[in-house]
Amino acid sequence: MASVNISQLNKKYGAVRVLHDLDLQVADGRFVVLLGPSGCGKSTLLRMIAGLESITSGDVLFDDTRVNDVHAKDRNIAMVFQNYALYAHMSVRKNMAFSMRLKRVDKKTIDEKVTWAASILGLEPYLDRLPRELSGGQRQRVAMGRAIVRDPDVFLFDEPLSNLDAKLRVQMRTEIKELHQRLKTTTIYVTHDQIEAMTMADDVVIMRDGYIEQAGSPMEVYDKPNNLFVAQFIGSPGMNIIECQVAVKNGVYYATRDELFLPLPAQAPVEDGQALLYGVRPEHMVPGVQSAGSGDSRASGVVRVVEPTGPEVHVYAKMAGQDVCAISRERLAWEPGETIYFQPDTNHVHLFNKETGAAL
Amino acid sequence: MSERRVWLPRWLTSEHPLPWLFPVTSLLIVFGLYPVLFSLWLSFFKRNPATRKEKFLPSWNWEKMISDERVWDAVQVTLTYAFIALFIQLVLGLLIALLLDTDRKGFGVLRALMTLPLVVPPAVTGMMFLLMYDSSFGVISNSLYSLGLLSPNTPILGTASTALWGVIVADVWQWTPFMVLIMLAGLRALPKEPYEAASIDGASAIQSFFYLTLPMMSKIIALAVLIRGIDLFRIFDYVKVMTDSGPGTATETLTAYAGTIYFKSANFPYASTIALATLIVVLVTSSLFIKIFKVKF
Ligand SMILES: Nc1ncnc2c1ncn2[C@@H]1O[C@H](COP(=O)(O)OP(=O)(O)O)[C@@H](O)[C@H]1O
Ligand SMILES: [Mg+2]
Repeated sequence: MASVNISQLNKKYGAVRVLHDLDLQVADGRFVVLLGPSGCGKSTLLRMIAGLESITSGDVLFDDTRVNDVHAKDRNIAMVFQNYALYAHMSVRKNMAFSMRLKRVDKKTIDEKVTWAASILGLEPYLDRLPRELSGGQRQRVAMGRAIVRDPDVFLFDEPLSNLDAKLRVQMRTEIKELHQRLKTTTIYVTHDQIEAMTMADDVVIMRDGYIEQAGSPMEVYDKPNNLFVAQFIGSPGMNIIECQVAVKNGVYYATRDELFLPLPAQAPVEDGQALLYGVRPEHMVPGVQSAGSGDSRASGVVRVVEPTGPEVHVYAKMAGQDVCAISRERLAWEPGETIYFQPDTNHVHLFNKETGAAL
Repeated sequence: MSERRVWLPRWLTSEHPLPWLFPVTSLLIVFGLYPVLFSLWLSFFKRNPATRKEKFLPSWNWEKMISDERVWDAVQVTLTYAFIALFIQLVLGLLIALLLDTDRKGFGVLRALMTLPLVVPPAVTGMMFLLMYDSSFGVISNSLYSLGLLSPNTPILGTASTALWGVIVADVWQWTPFMVLIMLAGLRALPKEPYEAASIDGASAIQSFFYLTLPMMSKIIALAVLIRGIDLFRIFDYVKVMTDSGPGTATETLTAYAGTIYFKSANFPYASTIALATLIVVLVTSSLFIKIFKVKF
């Protein structure tokens, strides 16, 4: 077990800089998820932690030991690769046993561990097959098995569930989380799937284009996004963003757009005439009736599509030329073309600088 | 379909495989099958060296061969030669290929230069080494003399115990690059990811080589061994040029012996018998090898 500390980490491929002065602290035993769109440098960062990618500048520390120059084989980490990286000529059993064979663990312990991992991963029937005789999902589970039979200081996962079907993905998600709760091994988990990140992480680190945009607990980044990118990346359906201009009516500030008058939080740091981006998550776009608005606020749109998902209803509407989505737990029946009124919950309204995207 | 020349028989049209197979098949028949069958036919005759008459006696040559001690000597020389040369070429080839298997700058040039010995005709290689072994001015001999590893009284190719090694060195010089080429092609095609996984699993470079590289390369290694093995078994040119089977019969291989009988004694039936026997041994051994090691082409 170890903490992982990263400071001022940079990565260049030739002249192209893919990671920019990253600082990241992963405390011992934490489950940290690196989240970001494809190509933002998650894998690169993970591979640098693993020792598979050279470090252009900066430091990687395990506990207080600088491991920049420690070979991957001596870092005592386990890793699940995005493309499995199985040993094609070895059976599933041998794939999982490989690290223990290298350490000359006795045969009985190896068998026990492999059986244990296979039962967790549902791989018992396949132990004597070769990787090419398995489906993508099964291969991915073998890669998982290879990692969990180890007793590493740090677990590294690079999108380990991306090739599984939806059902298995949810199941494995729980499995990994449970495993972490049991073993309490420091884990760094890469994904581009924000649901995975939200459900599994102790801490989420959101990356974009080689920068860390925000780090914090899932609820923190959900409730208090630092900027527009984080706000839009987290949450599904995504946060509604409406380009607005601040206006004063009867001494109260509103975010306005065409005929819209959207309510602002009480102490919002805005001034008359300021252009801003008004963000509100679908579940805070409470659909209601016209009269229910407070003061002069007016927010109405035209219903485009209604999607009942079972527990809730997603309503997509056009409001002052912008697409918005609202989620309601009431089983209200809207018809496309109908006018719909919203009451954005001012406790959950996010305001962003129109130029920089930074939260106000 | 409608444009098919209807007056042609069907087997002569481009839709039929026969016209396509014809050229190469006829070449094989003329230059492959016919000589073999002719040798077989020849081997059934007993030649009288005095009268130069041949008499049909099917088992004569074959029986003679079995009891001919020189044949068994030649078998031993051939096997020694083939196994030693093959082993050295395989190990050297793999080692050099491992060194050249890198994306670093300049190694592309090295990889290309590596193939140079392959374009030298074997007879020229033989001549070249003959000169380098020369006891008065040969660079190899003189280097060995000055290092005290060899005495001028025992010239490399003129001494029974070293002559075969002298020939093997020439073969190794010429054919190791071939091994390197095959091994490099194999190594370059290996996936990188398992190596990363192995180093995460705690494998050193040496362990990765034995646990990953060798097993993943086994098919290619088997193929290379097969190709070179067959070639080495038929060794003729280096022996002919460098030692002419000498001293005595110390470097006489099967093909060299057959050549001697053919050209010097003019006993064509017996020479054919030995050549055929060589062919049979190669065929049987290589088929077994293909079976056992599951070589795929
Ligand atoms: N070997 C490489 N050479 C050059 N550029 C690379 C290399 N590997 C990755 N990159 C670039 O680095 C960036 C980050 O890649 P990666 O870490 O794989 O992203 P992610 O895992 O977040 O999808 C990408 O723009 C990619 O094109
Ligand atoms: Mg990636």
